[in-house]
Amino acid sequence: MSMDSTLRDLKRINEKYRMFHAMTEDLEPGDSSFLFSVKDNLTSKDMETCAGSRILEGYHPAFDAASVEKMRLAGGKLIGKANMDEFGFGTFSTNSGFEIPRNPYDLDRACGGSSGGSACAASVIEDHVSLGVSTGGSICCPASFCGVYGIAPTYGRVSRFGLIDYGNSLDKIGVISQKAADLKKFMEVIAGRDERDPTSMVQPEFNTAYRKMKSVAVPKEGIEGLSKEVEKAFNDALEQLKSMGVDVDYVDMPSLRYAMPAYYVLATSEASTNLARYVGMRYGHQDGDHTLKFDDYFTDVRTRYFGDEAKRRILLGTFTRMAGFGGRHYAKAREVRQVVINDYKKVLADHDAVLAPTMPFTAPKFDDISKMSALDSYKADYLTVPANLAGTPHLSVPCGYDSDGMPVGMQFVADHWNEDVLFSIAEDWEKQFDLRRPEVSI
Amino acid sequence: MKIGLECHVQLPTKSKMFCSCPTEECEFPNTHVCPTCLGMPGSRPVLNRQVLVYGIMIAKMLNCEVNDTTWFARKTYFYPDMSKSVQITQYDNPIGERGVYYLDGKKPIRITRIHIEEDPGKTKRTSDLTSLVDYNRSGIPLAEIVTEPDIATPAEARQFLTQMIGDIRHLLNIPDDLEWVVKCDCNISVGTERVEIKNVNGMKHAEKALHAEMVRQIAMIKAKKKILRETRRYDPERDVTIGVRVKEFEDQYGYIDEPDLGIYHIKDLADSIKISESPQNMVLRMSSQYKIDQKMAKQLVNTSMDLAGLFEDVAKEFDTASAVKWVAGPVSASWRAMEDRGETPDMEKLKGFIRSFTEGKVTDTQCAIDIKSYMTGVDASAAMEESAGLESLINEFLDKNPKIVTDYQKNDKAANQVIGYVMKQTGGKYSSSEVVETAKKLIEARF
Repeated sequence: MSMDSTLRDLKRINEKYRMFHAMTEDLEPGDSSFLFSVKDNLTSKDMETCAGSRILEGYHPAFDAASVEKMRLAGGKLIGKANMDEFGFGTFSTNSGFEIPRNPYDLDRACGGSSGGSACAASVIEDHVSLGVSTGGSICCPASFCGVYGIAPTYGRVSRFGLIDYGNSLDKIGVISQKAADLKKFMEVIAGRDERDPTSMVQPEFNTAYRKMKSVAVPKEGIEGLSKEVEKAFNDALEQLKSMGVDVDYVDMPSLRYAMPAYYVLATSEASTNLARYVGMRYGHQDGDHTLKFDDYFTDVRTRYFGDEAKRRILLGTFTRMAGFGGRHYAKAREVRQVVINDYKKVLADHDAVLAPTMPFTAPKFDDISKMSALDSYKADYLTVPANLAGTPHLSVPCGYDSDGMPVGMQFVADHWNEDVLFSIAEDWEKQFDLRRPEVSI
Repeated sequence: MKIGLECHVQLPTKSKMFCSCPTEECEFPNTHVCPTCLGMPGSRPVLNRQVLVYGIMIAKMLNCEVNDTTWFARKTYFYPDMSKSVQITQYDNPIGERGVYYLDGKKPIRITRIHIEEDPGKTKRTSDLTSLVDYNRSGIPLAEIVTEPDIATPAEARQFLTQMIGDIRHLLNIPDDLEWVVKCDCNISVGTERVEIKNVNGMKHAEKALHAEMVRQIAMIKAKKKILRETRRYDPERDVTIGVRVKEFEDQYGYIDEPDLGIYHIKDLADSIKISESPQNMVLRMSSQYKIDQKMAKQLVNTSMDLAGLFEDVAKEFDTASAVKWVAGPVSASWRAMEDRGETPDMEKLKGFIRSFTEGKVTDTQCAIDIKSYMTGVDASAAMEESAGLESLINEFLDKNPKIVTDYQKNDKAANQVIGYVMKQTGGKYSSSEVVETAKKLIEARF
């Protein structure tokens, strides 16, 4: 597909896959050298930005997110704002106030989440790169379900200026694409210090030279609870890695089991304070009952326009922040985070990466998702959450297909600031992996 | 009775605490605003480092322990003028803790902590049903100073505030003519239960609010009624406090650390900051160093730190007696006159006058006239005539009322009796301070 044909077909593609919440009206590529899309929680001056939430309907930001600005400066044309779980709260992109993206390999299945629309666009549209955002696995999960490459860099590598926050100490902006080489190419574009985000100011130089991955550690905790087909695809991939000269060791990382509860305490604590600003004033929906007292008005707007999952996380986060509980939950969760980081550091001292499947199963059907409890879907993230909690860079690559033809992914976790070794393994893996593209007919 | 204060003072930065919007007043609402201080989704805070510098200076002035590392916290509450519904403040590890401030240089008032935080916007009620919000103030940096309940009376609270705020103004170089609002939350317990009066504006109101609440609590105790632990507000029109809400628990703000801002290692910064002597400390030191009355030292310092500085210079270069005679005398008396003309006194010139006298080149009357004519900008001969006129007028009065001289030895306020007479005779030709200064000189000459 050329840029012209992609732009021409954009509306029809979206009707079928529903990856975009908002799309460009300008269908001429002009001077652009590439097309890109971004998750809808990155602000854009020219398109509405809702982060999957109805409470933000009508929000036209006055500024571009730093990463959007950099992609444009590099010659990119922003074609769409990708659908997502509301504020990033989900694993399947089904917790959305708007459209739910369809899996390119089977329209009855989910794309994963919460950057589902981004992974879908990267999978369906040729020569396309999409920016995703990961808080607890929201880049690798959909990349895995949609059979594409996705990288979430080290926390602080990409400026979060212009990112609509979920959990500020966890959020990372990364790249999703069909092509392994795109990860390095576009991470180079969006990475770097930015005074508008103080947490981006401590990063060391971004290393892009080739550095071969020589060894991986597979934690026992990372291969528990897998579906049979994921297990098989992963074991085949391990054999393949060995044949590429990568040493594979099995290790114990007991702290990984505690990452999940710690993550949910921190993420919901931060999220509940981030979401406090949405009260139906200043931006987004402002059509509540204006005869009410201000706090009743706030409650009215929030009740109407937040989805169930957003409300659940506000309640969870507010509870964990309560005086008296703060020490028991929030402070403890921070200690656990440190324990997890230490565990990674220990293993990564003599391995280039920690490796496990990205998700314990392949993309589920929408019907099955509707039967899952909130807790079931939280638990589905147990493989992606630890690296996110630790702020370590992680990469998902497609590593096989199940009997229904649905993609399986595996996730490499490197040490802080060591994205280079992830780019290298992605490119090496791509050379010998038989990627099956979804059948895309419009 | 126990009184503790939480006072908020604005830090005089040029731009706001977390964005580059100006802090100066603006007559048009919602003009000095940007995505950050409006809390637009996707915006984030970047700390103005000058806020840390000012915070550390105040912490040092209040003899606090400055923490080596400090960081920010999110305080969550819903109110229309709080743009993010989250205030960025400090909770754990504030800038300074465990300080002490000496009232009148004697009574210690313990300082619990000082932290820095952002101001919300302003809500303006326009009618019974509508309010307007102005975010111009949103993100203005404040320091909050919390005291232990060491203050004994409402009057002492005012005295504490007046002294401390004066010291902070001097420390941060806030011009005297700049209106600088100080807001307080006042805690008071006459019996055992503590009541908080929120958001009292200014020192005078702090005293009045505390007084009104003290009267209420005493009446409650006399009537054997239970005082509730609650938050009240002060209505200055009616001079009463009004209940806002009963406090069953501590406020539920659900503090967490602010994840968008890091941990600030401020030890080196704090070590590099040397603060100048506070006016309060200068008064105490001058009074003991030069063996002068505290009142005189206070008058010099309160008139101007430059005047006090001149006093010290003269005392060192000549002697204390000259400093008392000339600097605390005619120079001090017409200091304001010079300031009113928008001029700054030339210290060398003033020292020159004094030198002429000590070297015996001029008489003391001539020296006084030289100083006065220089300070007031009025022609020397006219000044001499006027001075002579004033002196003879006062001497005339003192001849008729010798008791003033003996009264003065007990209380120097006796000199004030001269004012009315002179005013009546001259129709307000001389300023009252001028009259008093001259009267003091003449009275003292009669001892």
